Amino acid sequence: MIPDPNFGWTGTVGEVILGATRSEGGTRSRSYRIGGGTTLPFMEKDTAARPPLIAFEICDDPRYWSPIVNEYCGDLIHDPAAWAKTAETAYGADLVRLCLTSTKQRDFSDIATLGKTTESVLTGTALPLIIEGSNEPKIDSEVFQKCGETGQGERLLLGTAEAGRYRSIAAAALAYNHAIIAQSPIDINLAKQLNILLKEIGISRDHIVIDPYTGALGYGFEYTYSAMERIRFSALKGDTDLAMPMICAPSDSLTIKEVREADAGSRDAMAVEWEFTTSLAAAVAGAEIVCVRHPLTVKRLKEAFYGLNTRTGGA
Amino acid sequence: MPLKALDIYKLLPRKNCKECGDPTCLTFAMKLAAGKADIELCPYLDENAKSVLGATTRPPIRRVKLGVGERSFAVGEEFVLYRHDKTFYHPPGIMFVVSDTQSEEEITAITARVRDETLTRVGADLKFNGTAIVNTSGTIEAYAKAVAAVEKTAGLPEVLVSENPAALAAALVLCGSYHPTICAATPENYKQICALAKQYACRLVVRASTLEALVQLAKDCVAEGVPDILLDPGAKTLGDFLYRSTAVRQLAITRAVPDLGYPVYLDATTFEDEDAAIALGIVKYASVIVAKPLSPASAKAALTLRQNIYTDPQKPIQMNPGIYRVGTPGKDAPVLMTVNFSLTYFTLQGYLESTRIPCFMLIVDTEGLSVLTSVAAGKLNESLVRDAIKKFGVEGEVNHRKLIIPGYAAPLSGRIEEATGWKVLVGPRDAAEIGEYLVQEWKP
Repeated sequence: MIPDPNFGWTGTVGEVILGATRSEGGTRSRSYRIGGGTTLPFMEKDTAARPPLIAFEICDDPRYWSPIVNEYCGDLIHDPAAWAKTAETAYGADLVRLCLTSTKQRDFSDIATLGKTTESVLTGTALPLIIEGSNEPKIDSEVFQKCGETGQGERLLLGTAEAGRYRSIAAAALAYNHAIIAQSPIDINLAKQLNILLKEIGISRDHIVIDPYTGALGYGFEYTYSAMERIRFSALKGDTDLAMPMICAPSDSLTIKEVREADAGSRDAMAVEWEFTTSLAAAVAGAEIVCVRHPLTVKRLKEAFYGLNTRTGGA
Repeated sequence: MPLKALDIYKLLPRKNCKECGDPTCLTFAMKLAAGKADIELCPYLDENAKSVLGATTRPPIRRVKLGVGERSFAVGEEFVLYRHDKTFYHPPGIMFVVSDTQSEEEITAITARVRDETLTRVGADLKFNGTAIVNTSGTIEAYAKAVAAVEKTAGLPEVLVSENPAALAAALVLCGSYHPTICAATPENYKQICALAKQYACRLVVRASTLEALVQLAKDCVAEGVPDILLDPGAKTLGDFLYRSTAVRQLAITRAVPDLGYPVYLDATTFEDEDAAIALGIVKYASVIVAKPLSPASAKAALTLRQNIYTDPQKPIQMNPGIYRVGTPGKDAPVLMTVNFSLTYFTLQGYLESTRIPCFMLIVDTEGLSVLTSVAAGKLNESLVRDAIKKFGVEGEVNHRKLIIPGYAAPLSGRIEEATGWKVLVGPRDAAEIGEYLVQEWKP
């Protein structure tokens, strides 16, 4: 008899709930419970384990978005609600991530419109929502307060808390019961430190998703890959300050040289290949949510995750 | 568990005869413990010592070399499950499939592509590694012709994919002296296939869909005199491959099942999304990956992922410190300071090139650490910047005294100004924003 590989894990990855259905006090068509892993990704004894979720990213100001995606999605990019709906019905995403790129404008102050946009996206799609907040620390507090309030009851995932910049987002998450993304610059110790800071101000572990920061394939991805592996097995070894699910956003993939400079005929293929390869490898390292921007990446990842979750025999 | 040098020393004759090439039995024992010597070098070992040492001093995964000459490559000899525990040593060879039902022109073109195609990234030339010639026709003549066409084009490592011993024999007449790999031995055909593999000293892929059957087959083939084995875990799904390949690696490196101590072979062509299988093979321990000729996008992604995963995590790739030009900068061109971590350099350089603004990059010696890490560690400091400006003659290159520093180095800006007398401008954290920054902020 060949034994099963024995890693001697003692811990599990903690769980986080995203989205809320009517019976849970929200208006989403479904909610997700992510985390709960007891071994390396896709190695669970029970192959009915949940596959990673795919979030499709949209934005409220396409001037700050990838021209490749803008061209592919056409007029949708000017209507976040319709774009979100398309992500759900046509692209097949599990989640929508709304990036508030309008806050990148100099001296941005139109907080009311952010609330309206959030509201329209929540109406446009019934999927659970991730909101990627302000690009300017000075307005963090108003932005997160507004989005948090607008999404009250929906169990949003709010991004992104960093070591020097987490109080505003934490306050909104606490006030309206949302989860938050905690990002550190590809460093397991800094990831742990940030989780401890968040714990100290009252954010419970089941409301944190770790973003170890994703360097694009060919531009630092090897560091991300190892940071994710290390965070995952720290959790499995029982370190509760790192036992949260992870999110991977290879958004840099669309700005790297190989994709930027691909000729018109192969730009889409190159963009999709880069997002796909990075996301797949990240999922194998432990990411439980992967975020992509090109519609064609979603279906390919779905099928690959399904394949990874299917086994035809024992070991 | 591997033996320690002292345990090994106790099993040696302790004569210090030097016949193994080492000055003493103790130094020989230390080499054995590190997996750097062969017990066969000691002429005085008794059988008991041989059997004890043989199992523990050879690397947990056998080293197998494919092909001959400049494009040959070795796989196996890996020690860890996670790259950051040490490093992964031998990147998987990626082999393109040709079929004996294709025309000679097609076969030649694919082989030439493997021979010539190069992707240069971060100062390294990345290539594909060989061809897998498939006996799709089932006939002997067509197969021999296909192998001849490949042979005529390039001296690359080859995998001969056929379960027909007669076709393999005809192919081996043509390429048998170049250490080709035969694919595959199965429980049904292994005796015949092993006879050929032994005759020509081939490498041999063994295929079975359970680890138990795989171990048995590997043992049988070794007993037939074929020691250079690759394991094909016969995966039908990505999940099968991930699970079995991880199990093979884990059970081999812990020596829980020493007979699984061989490199893993992955035929990606059987998967619906071949790119997914290739990516999975690269991150999860495949040593040879066979694929249909890849599209330009897939080829770039596969070679890049392989380079990433097989970079030694303990040795960041470094640039030589100095002054580098982007375009043809004049006396009023901006000067951007950054670290000598190659990834930082190449990323920033790429974005600077696409801004079309000629400029100077001042690369300072942070021993290959990134901006963030070198600031945190105090490696990047004002005296380093001051000395670099002097050493590389930056004052003679430009007629202004303004230095743009990375966003993450902002805490140093005051101290750099004091130490150098230059005005410091804090650039963006993210290299992607450098173009916009220069357009808005740069006025010489």
